[in-house]
Amino acid sequence: MVGVADEMEVDRLEQELESGHGDVTEYLGLVRKLKLRRSANVLKHGVALLNNPSAKSKLGTDVWTIYEQVAVAALDSDDLRVAEECVKALLIKFPDSARVARLEGMWMEAKGQWKEASAIYDSVIQEIPFDSQLHKRKVAIFKAQGKLSEAAETLIKYLDTFMADHEAWRELANIYISQQMYKQAAFCFEELLLAQPGNALYHLGYAEVLYTIGGVENLRTAKKYYASTIELSGGKNLRALYGVCLCGLALSQTKLRTKEEKDNTNLQSLAAAVILKEYKDKAPNKADLVSSVLEKQKS
Amino acid sequence: MANDLVLDTAIRDWVLVPLSLVMVLIGVLRHFVSKALQSSPTPDPKAFKESQVVIRARYLRGAANYIPLKAFRMRRTYYNNEENGLLHVPKGQAQNMQAQMFSDPNMAMDMMKKNLSMIVPQTLTFAWVNFFFSGFVTAKIPFPLTQRFRAMLQNGIDLSSVDVSYVSSRSWYFLNLFGLRGLFSLILGEENATDDTQRLMQTQMAMQMGGLGADPAKALGAEKDGLDLIQHDWVLPKIEQKAEVVLRQFLDH
Repeated sequence: MVGVADEMEVDRLEQELESGHGDVTEYLGLVRKLKLRRSANVLKHGVALLNNPSAKSKLGTDVWTIYEQVAVAALDSDDLRVAEECVKALLIKFPDSARVARLEGMWMEAKGQWKEASAIYDSVIQEIPFDSQLHKRKVAIFKAQGKLSEAAETLIKYLDTFMADHEAWRELANIYISQQMYKQAAFCFEELLLAQPGNALYHLGYAEVLYTIGGVENLRTAKKYYASTIELSGGKNLRALYGVCLCGLALSQTKLRTKEEKDNTNLQSLAAAVILKEYKDKAPNKADLVSSVLEKQKS
Repeated sequence: MANDLVLDTAIRDWVLVPLSLVMVLIGVLRHFVSKALQSSPTPDPKAFKESQVVIRARYLRGAANYIPLKAFRMRRTYYNNEENGLLHVPKGQAQNMQAQMFSDPNMAMDMMKKNLSMIVPQTLTFAWVNFFFSGFVTAKIPFPLTQRFRAMLQNGIDLSSVDVSYVSSRSWYFLNLFGLRGLFSLILGEENATDDTQRLMQTQMAMQMGGLGADPAKALGAEKDGLDLIQHDWVLPKIEQKAEVVLRQFLDH
């Protein structure tokens, strides 16, 4: 995780660089270490560094790491010319490296040459079958082409082996949601809840999926998970607050309510009050609109 | 002393210095040879998958109370059922570490390589020293020592009349063999292959770990028992009240 202190340090370095007297190497190193995604800045300063022969020669063997970093940043910023230069330089230096091959594949992806990229990944996977990043790139290829069902298929195959990779489960959940396969998405969210039970966003996601599936049982469970999101986020998650209201509304329309539910509408009214308070604090001009919406829900 | 031995300077030039030099060079050579022979371990697909299953099952065991009962039961059956559950290891298929070691030629090969790079050069240099320099007195330590050091310093000379501070060639070899570690870590870096003690520690550790971690069948079985034992106790039934408390606090601020 990126701490506040780290973030401030990066910002400070960025400002120094803007004013023209910062340490580029230190900045790039910190960005790498914290795994930040500040592609535009990395690209700008990295290219300047690589174009400066005297500074470049001081780097020694670190220069290749920076080539890699700048290449990824360039791909992210759609600067294919810089990416090509970096990838080619790395290919000349490390012709057999799997890491560079992956970079080349990413470059192909950026150019839209899906087949070539996929072929590169496949050949590297044959040598290193347990590189999770390569498998994930293959999923990314399908996703970039909009072939979501293929992406899901590839991802399932990946998860069959790498089943403890919860980020992959999260991606699969997102894919399923966009394909409206909510039951499968719910399964993925259950996996996520197991892996990180303290993450409020997973509780929220699970609740939303259950609410979307519908049915009294699911709505009840959804309401509980919305409530747990509220608890975990300290009441600051607006989606969860709305979710509780909506679940309460949906449940009030069904006839299968238990007595407890009939009596207990505290949570909904509290949530509505908090929503209203938030809007009054932060967007007063919308408060009237929100209060009228919430009023409608009650009646 | 009257009966002081005077060592020929030729002994210094042709025995003491070459011996030390050869020991250093052989150490360096061994480092690179064992590096070249070392094959990067490619994990076994089955073992890798099993380790992932164990991690996932451990998640389930740890956070079972955060998912609804139905979801939990479904997963437990998925892991533990007797037909094709992921954690279920059919009897007899569970092979022990020893058998696995013999069935996997890679493992045996690896061990052989390690041993070769360790033992062969040592035997050869020892034979070489023994053949050419046996019986030499190669050096003198500038301070007196007690009789107990005779076995250490005068290996290969069976004379009790020689002062203990003289070092025989074979003893010089042994002193170099064990004493050059510091020098090697200076030349080759900390993680060098010449450090036999470290390697010995590692193999011992691996042996101890082998009882628990490296035996996949056992790990799977333990996870399965753990899953069978846990009681599902959903955390959420009272969550609405808790959320209410949170929201009240939020409103009061």
